[in-house]
Order: sequence, then C-alpha cells, then structure tokens
Amino acid sequence: MVRLGAEPSKMREIELDDVFMSRLQLLIIMSKAYLSGFPLGRHRIKSILENANHVKLEAVGLEEDLEWFEKDVAFNDTLGFDSAFYQRVKLLSVMAEAIAKGHDLENHKKEALEKNLNALCESITFNKQVSDMQFLKVA
Amino acid sequence: MKIAVIDADPIVRDFVVGTLMYSVNRDVLPFENGLDAWMHFEDDGVPDIIVADVNLDDLTGMELLEKVKGLKQDTVVIFYSDLSEKEAMVKEAGADAFLAKPFGVTELFSLVQQFVVDGR
Repeated sequence: MVRLGAEPSKMREIELDDVFMSRLQLLIIMSKAYLSGFPLGRHRIKSILENANHVKLEAVGLEEDLEWFEKDVAFNDTLGFDSAFYQRVKLLSVMAEAIAKGHDLENHKKEALEKNLNALCESITFNKQVSDMQFLKVA
Repeated sequence: MKIAVIDADPIVRDFVVGTLMYSVNRDVLPFENGLDAWMHFEDDGVPDIIVADVNLDDLTGMELLEKVKGLKQDTVVIFYSDLSEKEAMVKEAGADAFLAKPFGVTELFSLVQQFVVDGR
C-alpha cells in the first residue's frame, strides 16, 4: 500500500488555512504551467476558474481581517503575511482567471505574471517546478 | 478514466476534486457520503479510482471498499484520514493507498503520477 502525507505523529484535520495555502500553490502551478506552454483543456479551464475564485474570495477575507486587526492592535495575522502578500494573491487570481477565459497575455503581462509568481513563491517558500509534473503536458 | 471523490466536508472535497480534475483534465465525480456514491456506482459503473475519507456516513469506508473490490477488483481505492490508527485498518482491508492528513497538492499529484500515469 502506498503511503503519503503527514507523519503519524503530525496527523491532524485539514484546517481552512491549509486549504487556502494548498489552493494558492495549485494556482501557482496552474500559472507556471500556462507560462511553460502546457495545454489547457475543458476540465482544466473549469478547475482554474474555480480555484482562482476560491483563492480570491479567501484572500479578500483574510486581508480584511488583517486590516481590522492592524487598526486595533499591532497584530500580524495567523499566516504571518502582510497586506502586500494578499494584493499579490488577488492579482494572481485575476491573472489566472484571464488565462482560463482565453485571454492571450501579451509579453509584458507574462513578465508581470512571472514576477508575481516568483514573489509569491519566495513568500511561501514554494519551489515546485512544473518540469516535475510531466503529466501536465498532456491535455 | 473515471475518478470519484467522497467526503462529507465540502471544503476538502472541492479542493481534492479541483486538483485531480486539473491534473488529469477529466471530470471528477464528487459525493457527500458512501451510500450515494455506491448507488451511483451501481447504476453507472464503478470508477477506476476512488479517493475517499475513511469516515463516511451511511456506508463506511471499509464497507464501500469491500463492495467496490467485489464488483471491480482493479479499481484503485485511496483513503485519507487524520487518525493514524486508520492506516493499518485500511491496509488490512486492501486499500491501494493511504493519505495522511494534512495533505496538499504535492501528495495529490504524486497519486496521479503513480496511479494514472504510471498505472500502478
């Protein structure tokens, strides 16, 4: 039997923050795959749109929480990110939505997307390479 | 290639469905409980891969595994749980993989690599 995931001593329920970070990582992979020229398909497009929407809504909620806390106390939210991080997340979700809707990004927009992805990957120390996921080359 | 995901928690279920759907570029069937899933499988056929929480309502994960393997032996059944004691239980029952919570994109992509691409 194949075994994956957390070590036995670290097993626990999946929290909302876990899902947010996982969805963000997925959105980064989706965007990197686009920049690498990997093919889209009907179901991939649906998946990108749904994921981008989830991430955008969650980022807006987290950013509002952060603003509210910062007004009252010098509080950094539970994930430890500042509002610039959430602006980057929202920007990524908008860009991913545009990709899924078939808008062909011009070169300067692709560069902006790449810069945004690099900044986000640095913030969350996420270094998954799309070259690791050869199966995405097949639609 | 038919894939089904069964979980009462919509937040986890939707994330798993979305990630698998993107990976394989195929529709992925979502179910809230074991009984609904089994009734669908009886009518439309057992999927090639089932990814499910061990703790299912109406029909437990173990009961579903027995029924599924009885009807279609080569269906890949993958269970996930936040309880470490479930691992030995699902192994004994004949599940193909165990996913220990919390898991993320990397683990789901690994499943796709092993069970869809490599066909293990």
